[in-house]
Amino acid sequence: MEGTNFRAPEAARLLKMVDDRPAERVFRVDRSIYTDPEVFDAEIKHIFEGNWIFACHESQVANPGDYFSIEVGRQPVVIWRQPDGEIKGFINACSHRAAILMPYRQGNAKTITCRFHGWTYGCEGRCMRIKGEDTGYDGSFDRAHYNLKEVPRIAAYRGFVFVSLAANVAPLEDFLGATKAWIDLMVDQSPDGLEVVPGAPSYMIGGNWKMQAENGVDGYHVSTVHRVFATTMSARQSRDNRQGMAQTEAGRIVGNVPTASYDLGNGHMAIWATHTTPEVRPIWEARERLKATLPAGKVDWILNKGRNLMLFPNVLLMDNPSTQIRVMKPIAPDRTEVTVYCVAPKGESKAARSARLRKFEDFYLTAGMATSDDISALEDTYAGSLARYTPWNEMVRGWDATVKGPDAEAKKLGFEPVTSNPNWDHEILFHGFYRQWAKLIGNSNGKR
Amino acid sequence: MARNDTLHREVEDLIYREATLLDRKKWEEWLDLFTEDAVYWVPAWRSEEETTDDPDTQLNLIYLRNRGGLEDRVFRIESRDSYASVPLDRTVHLVGNVVVGDANGETVAATANCIVHTYGKKGGMTRGSLYDYVLRRVDGALKIAKKKIVFIDDRLEGPIDVYHL
Repeated sequence: MEGTNFRAPEAARLLKMVDDRPAERVFRVDRSIYTDPEVFDAEIKHIFEGNWIFACHESQVANPGDYFSIEVGRQPVVIWRQPDGEIKGFINACSHRAAILMPYRQGNAKTITCRFHGWTYGCEGRCMRIKGEDTGYDGSFDRAHYNLKEVPRIAAYRGFVFVSLAANVAPLEDFLGATKAWIDLMVDQSPDGLEVVPGAPSYMIGGNWKMQAENGVDGYHVSTVHRVFATTMSARQSRDNRQGMAQTEAGRIVGNVPTASYDLGNGHMAIWATHTTPEVRPIWEARERLKATLPAGKVDWILNKGRNLMLFPNVLLMDNPSTQIRVMKPIAPDRTEVTVYCVAPKGESKAARSARLRKFEDFYLTAGMATSDDISALEDTYAGSLARYTPWNEMVRGWDATVKGPDAEAKKLGFEPVTSNPNWDHEILFHGFYRQWAKLIGNSNGKR
Repeated sequence: MARNDTLHREVEDLIYREATLLDRKKWEEWLDLFTEDAVYWVPAWRSEEETTDDPDTQLNLIYLRNRGGLEDRVFRIESRDSYASVPLDRTVHLVGNVVVGDANGETVAATANCIVHTYGKKGGMTRGSLYDYVLRRVDGALKIAKKKIVFIDDRLEGPIDVYHL
């Protein structure tokens, strides 16, 4: 792991922010973990620029020359599909004077010419042409020296592309571990896989990225923050008497359905809640095909469980009323940029696609009727975390109900969580998130 | 074709009244300006330069197929149970550049620009939108049959609800 110039005494101070004493039934997080600028700098370096993070979905770079611009931590990176189909990643800055190369977030180009001084690069990263090369440099000049810097690691699992700016990391599939079974649940909904639907709104949260990470797998807030979504949908249904997929199910929000939560290892977390009306979900039309081609336990997981997966550190995969990839980009301790993509099984019916989009818009956006409430809540928790007289967030709810390893439902699907909890409003899954956090921050000074 | 001053004035009155009712938070009167089958559409940006343009296959910020969708929004605001809507942001809409298009039987098209100043917990924000209206005469009075709002911000500082647009 990199990080040699990160001073050990500072790492020790940061590590004290996770008070992890299971023998004494203590697990708590110092609220300054969300607000402290030194924590933030260490996270950028050792978590976002020091390990695997989600980059994009392969359908966003479907064809040769397709590119997709991202930031890895603070560093601009472009994911670029090669003529032979391979996906590569490069630092998205000109080797000459650092101007960002790609004019758009997403586009297609076999070569790119820097708009500042006119240097040209091929999609394989080769510096192909330098304006005035013959008049400005001597015979020892080597254009290859200016090839684009390739990111050390890039790999995909079933269409989800990840990069690491540190070379010395575990293979991607080892890092993903138990989450692979959860990713499969989304990808296996269509024999042709998933696609990202056009339209990708971004929004800013006036809060810390870890608050969004927690919120995505916090079942406990649902019955308060989203109660109004349930009552609004109930009023809509009595007024409109909607049929089929046009209905919105809110049974999970009201509660009283089986739920669970998991620490999936390596900082990954997940929750599910049983759908009370699976027949209103867009995937319902595919049930016979799914039953004919997949194990029964897996089909049950796809059809009957609304699922949120938090892949450490920067992406949430959600399959509830609609399906989404939610990517987090930390800007500052109190600024997090979130971009949401509606992802859908390729080849679903027009009616299912349209229903999926309307459900997405109803709930998930900052202009929606639920996510906007989440964002306001997270911004309040950021403001509250500045109160140093009350420094601790305890995460102990559900401790006595915790099962080591898989519960019955996990065994049915076949994944190995670190711990299972029989309720999505338990908080034990967060232990895994903060242990991974401490591992990466702690390794920065060579010991834990 | 000579400008139809009476129609122009009628269209402007409706558009200004809509903005005024939003700012004064007279939600029921605001809803009454829309036809039962009114479409309310706020596309998303699909790239830096283009918005989405097909609600059946692409994502939007808001796409409501009838006035019921707006009634949902008002229900949530009035419930006082929405974290994002308590306390409620203050807004001032300034609508201008009203251009009245072709009148075709009972419908007339119009466009306008709107600057909305919002004040809330995060302080003040000023943002802009392009409005495309289709208005239809119902029992003698013009009502909004379709409103498309291109909200020019992309990286959204939320929340965004009908009164912010």
